[in-house]
Amino acid sequence: MAEMRVLGSSRLMKLALRALILVVLLALIIFGLYYLLSQSYPFRWNLAFNPKNLDAFNEGLLVTLQVSGLAMIGGALLGLLVALARLSPFAILRDMGMLYVQMLRNIPFLVFILFMYFGVSKVFSAGPTVPVPLLDIEIDSRIFWGVIALSLFEASFISEIFRAGIQAVHKTQIEAARSLGMSYVQSMQHVVLPQAFRMIIPPLTGELIALVKESALLMVISLEELTLTARQLVQQTPLNFEFYAILAAYYLAITLPLSFVSHLLERKLAIGKAR
Amino acid sequence: MIAVQDVHKWFGLLHVLKGIDLEIAQGEVLVLIGASGSGKSTLLRCINGLEKIQHGKIVVDEMDIHKSRTNLNKVRQEIGIVFQSFNLFPHMTVMKNITIGPTKVKRISPQESKEIAVQLLKRIGIPEKADFYPDQLSGGQQQRVAIARALAMKPKVMLFDEPTSALDPEMISEVLDLMRELASEKMTMVVVTHEMGFAREAANRIAFMADGQIAEIAPAEEFFKNPKDERTRRFIEKVLAV
Repeated sequence: MAEMRVLGSSRLMKLALRALILVVLLALIIFGLYYLLSQSYPFRWNLAFNPKNLDAFNEGLLVTLQVSGLAMIGGALLGLLVALARLSPFAILRDMGMLYVQMLRNIPFLVFILFMYFGVSKVFSAGPTVPVPLLDIEIDSRIFWGVIALSLFEASFISEIFRAGIQAVHKTQIEAARSLGMSYVQSMQHVVLPQAFRMIIPPLTGELIALVKESALLMVISLEELTLTARQLVQQTPLNFEFYAILAAYYLAITLPLSFVSHLLERKLAIGKAR
Repeated sequence: MIAVQDVHKWFGLLHVLKGIDLEIAQGEVLVLIGASGSGKSTLLRCINGLEKIQHGKIVVDEMDIHKSRTNLNKVRQEIGIVFQSFNLFPHMTVMKNITIGPTKVKRISPQESKEIAVQLLKRIGIPEKADFYPDQLSGGQQQRVAIARALAMKPKVMLFDEPTSALDPEMISEVLDLMRELASEKMTMVVVTHEMGFAREAANRIAFMADGQIAEIAPAEEFFKNPKDERTRRFIEKVLAV
């Protein structure tokens, strides 16, 4: 017992030491760079951190969160459908699923968003807002098409993650479920998907983080999310370094908690699985 | 209870079942033995429709298993199967493993299903393991839970596919004891196994399969004492010599 405790504390010490070294190294790099830059560039953080600028950033954050959040839901749902289609017993569904994934995965997102917003949206309606049928509201067409493009595009990646997860659940699990008299849908719902979901949490969060980062490209359809907000601020006051540093910090503030939550979920859901 | 008529099955070009005929009466225990690759597991899996057949007919409790209009989900409620590798659901507790069939398939209320499960857990001797996950149990306990999971559906027939082959030797008897108990309660059972002791005591009849066919089928005692087929004789000599 005593031996184990010593071992535990020495491991903790090692971990703390590593973290310390990392922090010191990072600080050295940042301050070194900062010092070098400050020789030729006058930093004006007090100007950058003007409450008005931060308000603008926060509004941009809200848009980024809205669009990413909606696209995550849309992309995950559609991704699951495409994955199920690709694994279905019907050849036509499998082929359609494959076509979808191959098309979407193999064009740049920038091209896809340009095509959707300036191409496809004009075919449907040219107005600045899009009516939502059931909710009886109108939403900004840039947000609408941004969410649609991001969802469709990400669904192609997410579907591959779901497919891998479902296929990783052993075939004997489906046999056991079907042998109890469960239908295909029931065995998916109660047996396969819950197990697949545990396995795909890490790659799925990775993809959701990629989605948040990709949403930056929505600036090309003049959607005022974080990145476009920073661009506009830079055009008003040329505080390039300051504003883009703040922009990067905002993205980290979204994505780092996401990976942390993924880590927690992974550990929580691992209970009952093979250790 | 089970009627198998001239069943043929191919895996691709491989002809694995070559005309099987078999009648199993209600309450009968039939043990299928034979070398690996002789088709005994495949035959078992054909009986509950996990494998398709290309020719012939299998009728269980007056339901034609391989007719396209048969609702397999309905049929399977009456046929329990126990696998070699248990195949419990690892993300569910023991309790959930047993109640999931009754609640989701038979739509029995959760309380009633739970009562069934508690009774079954008592019966298999591990009532205290209800809230454990399968990974936390020994192999023998897992297999007994798998049997309980199948029994919770109140099946008319139980199929066993080498239920003790994946177990450590000291755990085999606890599973066989449970199967003997079932047999004594007149459950209709088809058992693929290498356990000759079990076959001798619990089986009404023993069928020996070789090369996709039933080489010999006889009441247990006669089967061991007086085998007629040459291949059966050699097989019995081999397994009894061990």
